[in-house]
Amino acid sequence: MSGGNQNLERELDRLLAAYRDACEAPEPSADFMPTLWARIEAAEQGWSERLWKWANGLAAAAAVASVLLVALQMAARPAPDYYSSTYVESLLAQTDAELAPVELAGVPSMDPGPAERPER
Amino acid sequence: MLVENDIVERARAGDAQAFNEIVQAYRRRIFGTVSRLIGRPEDVEDVAQEVFIRLYYSLDQLRSPEVFEPWLYRLTVNAALDYLRKRRKRKQEARVADLSEQQVMMADAAAGSKLEVERREKARVREFVDTLLAGVSEEDRILLTLKEVEGLSLKELEKIYRVNENALKVRLFRARQRVLRAYAARREEEARKGTSDERRESESGA
Repeated sequence: MSGGNQNLERELDRLLAAYRDACEAPEPSADFMPTLWARIEAAEQGWSERLWKWANGLAAAAAVASVLLVALQMAARPAPDYYSSTYVESLLAQTDAELAPVELAGVPSMDPGPAERPER
Repeated sequence: MLVENDIVERARAGDAQAFNEIVQAYRRRIFGTVSRLIGRPEDVEDVAQEVFIRLYYSLDQLRSPEVFEPWLYRLTVNAALDYLRKRRKRKQEARVADLSEQQVMMADAAAGSKLEVERREKARVREFVDTLLAGVSEEDRILLTLKEVEGLSLKELEKIYRVNENALKVRLFRARQRVLRAYAARREEEARKGTSDERRESESGA
């Protein structure tokens, strides 16, 4: 490093030391502490308000989402037949299915043929 | 440390009285640091309060009371940087140098007592150094101020910035070189101005 640079370095050091002395910190005002606590409380309130709004928003969004889901589900699934038929029709359909004749191999039908039916 | 470890512990546990004690103990130091970092005396109190608000809300994240001071310095640096960034955004704000000039003019208008002369000289130094420091980024200006003006050691800066000493040294060296170049340029400019003033005076005398 050249001598000129060293001189500049030293001058800068002196200047920065003078700067340190020149930068006197202002005295804290008398209401420093009350204002500080007021700001802390205001920040706390702000946060709880934000949290409350956020929770409200979340609840509203959840409600809207559930209504939409229910609507979507209802639209996607076709209505079963028993919603459009009467009780008797539904009952008949079910009974027919349950009472269908059972075909057993090797067992003759119990139902007599038309020739064997007694005439009235 | 300006406060005992148990006060920090109590404040961490939510004791408002202990927090008050911390504020009372560090208030002046934080005022001084903030004043040197932001360069605007009228905003020092506001930024210092911001530092303590951040401290209040982050005390529970403090690992141990031993690292309290670097932690507080870190909060101070961050609050000062945020303030400087906000100020940069506000175009209508007066430049630091302009404000200092206003202060010098106000001081000029005041009585020329010895105290006033001293005050004027201090204002001149502040303005001059602020102009030199304006040549580096805000981050580097803060780092340089903490090291060269606040007198913090590299070890302390390492704890505040959480980077290794070598990285800090490189950053500091570069920032200082930039300030040094700005200083050399200013001196050259002043010397040139002085020569031309002398020539003008001699010409008018002849």
